[in-house]
Amino acid sequence: MKAYTQIPPGTQILIGRAAQHRRALERTICSVFEGWSYEEIIPPIFDYYDVFVKGMGTGPEEQIYRFIDREGNILALRPEFTSLVAKTVATRLAAAAKPIRLFYSGEVLRFEKPKGGRQREFSQVGIEHYGGESKTADVETLLIAVEVFEKIGIKGFQINLGSVDFFGGVVDRMELPESQIAELKEVLNVKDQPGLESLLSKLSLADRRKKILRAIPHLTGGKNVIQEARELVRNPRSVEALNHLEEIYMIFERLDLAQHLTIDLGEIRGFDYYTGILFRAYVRDMGFEVASGGRYDGLPGQFGEDLPAVGFSFSLDRLQQIVAPNLKSIGAESPAVKVDNGFEKALELRRSGKAVKLCL
Amino acid sequence: MLVIALCKGRFLEPSLAALEKAGIRFPEDVATSRKLIFETEDKRFRAILVKPVDVATYVEYGAADVGIAGRDVIMESRADLLQPLDLNFGQVKIAIAGPKGSSSIDGSDHPTVRVATKYPRITLDYYNARGIPVEIIPLSGSIELAPLIGLADRIVDLVETGRTLKENGLEVVEVIAESTARLLVNRAGYQTKRDEVLQLITSLEKVVQCGSST
Repeated sequence: MKAYTQIPPGTQILIGRAAQHRRALERTICSVFEGWSYEEIIPPIFDYYDVFVKGMGTGPEEQIYRFIDREGNILALRPEFTSLVAKTVATRLAAAAKPIRLFYSGEVLRFEKPKGGRQREFSQVGIEHYGGESKTADVETLLIAVEVFEKIGIKGFQINLGSVDFFGGVVDRMELPESQIAELKEVLNVKDQPGLESLLSKLSLADRRKKILRAIPHLTGGKNVIQEARELVRNPRSVEALNHLEEIYMIFERLDLAQHLTIDLGEIRGFDYYTGILFRAYVRDMGFEVASGGRYDGLPGQFGEDLPAVGFSFSLDRLQQIVAPNLKSIGAESPAVKVDNGFEKALELRRSGKAVKLCL
Repeated sequence: MLVIALCKGRFLEPSLAALEKAGIRFPEDVATSRKLIFETEDKRFRAILVKPVDVATYVEYGAADVGIAGRDVIMESRADLLQPLDLNFGQVKIAIAGPKGSSSIDGSDHPTVRVATKYPRITLDYYNARGIPVEIIPLSGSIELAPLIGLADRIVDLVETGRTLKENGLEVVEVIAESTARLLVNRAGYQTKRDEVLQLITSLEKVVQCGSST
């Protein structure tokens, strides 16, 4: 039996200013979502385990907190919101007018090493956009992410934008076994050039294909990256991905926001459910990503309703570390009136809208 | 300013040499000083000196933007970071060794092979992938001693020339991986300090290419 004073690893307690900052941050971000006509969804804290496996794929299953109910069903504490929202949209909201715009805010649980201010129980806020035209929905999603950063006062942020279809189109043509695709992803994910070289020496691929793979870790930067990539690929899936990224980039240029966007065609990490764009947001002085998202058109179909879908989530725990110093003014609207002469006075003040503090 | 985490110990000199060739010079004598933080005159770079096993941690958390450490350290730490460049020094093998004459990676006299090592994760992954039950005996030094006095059947350790093994009656049974010094980059720093990071990678790349051609 552990001492009752011990904190279970991966949990935390927010009190005082930390709690005030957390709620202020949450309210600010949620009001941005509401400003773009997103409605809140409050899903359950647990659901059937299969819901999350359908959504996230089998990769991260060891991170899921599972338990068995009295009827023998396997349940899981939610490790993310996207699968839960997709299930609701595909079932209960199947007949609703499209597009459907939803946001959520709450705790998720993953059994992983606590890192960068994120514990095993951590807080996410995010949006889901279902059934919209893909380019406009992608841009809308990215614009909302940008506004979140602006509203919470973060200036040096970068959104790293990639597409699973660029890499997907390239490897489709190579007809490699799954295990080798996984190895390729592994070395590309960490931009491991020497690792890539030793892997390429084992694969019998045309030189033209090897050249594309060698280029992928370097295909990161501004719009010029898209041009460079165009000269390398001809397959329709990759070309379509480049067209899509270019259109998004041009809209961002027109809106004078392109300085926050980095194209990164080597960005291919993430849950299995991603099908199109994929992005991660980084902030100066924080070594870990603070937001991630992308397109997952196949996900609602897992629950019986084929719909295009895009969304992202922010990590509140990480954002709070960066913005807490800027949140000094919160909770200081009007100091409470000290009441030391009876409950009547306190009630009277409360009815007139004043804050009170009893000192009886 | 770009913060570079460097290993204390045998990696320090070649790391500083590579940086110097790339045009990054620290005015003080980093190798002999007791200080842990150094800056270049133009204040564009700061070097911090840490234990080799900690380099990956500093870089993963963004306390340093980049770092130089052996591949063994990265494999063992499982830190999530970019590793774009092989710096081509500090060549060693991460190997399984056993008493002279050992022919397999499992000591067949025991149902579970006992392995002494400073690299518990690398060891566990390697044996797990081959379906061999393993008991890891974590040690932090003098690993070669373990099989000699019956503490372990095998060891997993870095092997440079193999001399230490030989002098202790051990030999390499299998090489798990080759390790050299790598440049590590924090994922966020790669995006938010992109120009500085890319410039450093490019100039170190040139240093490595020149080094290998001579």
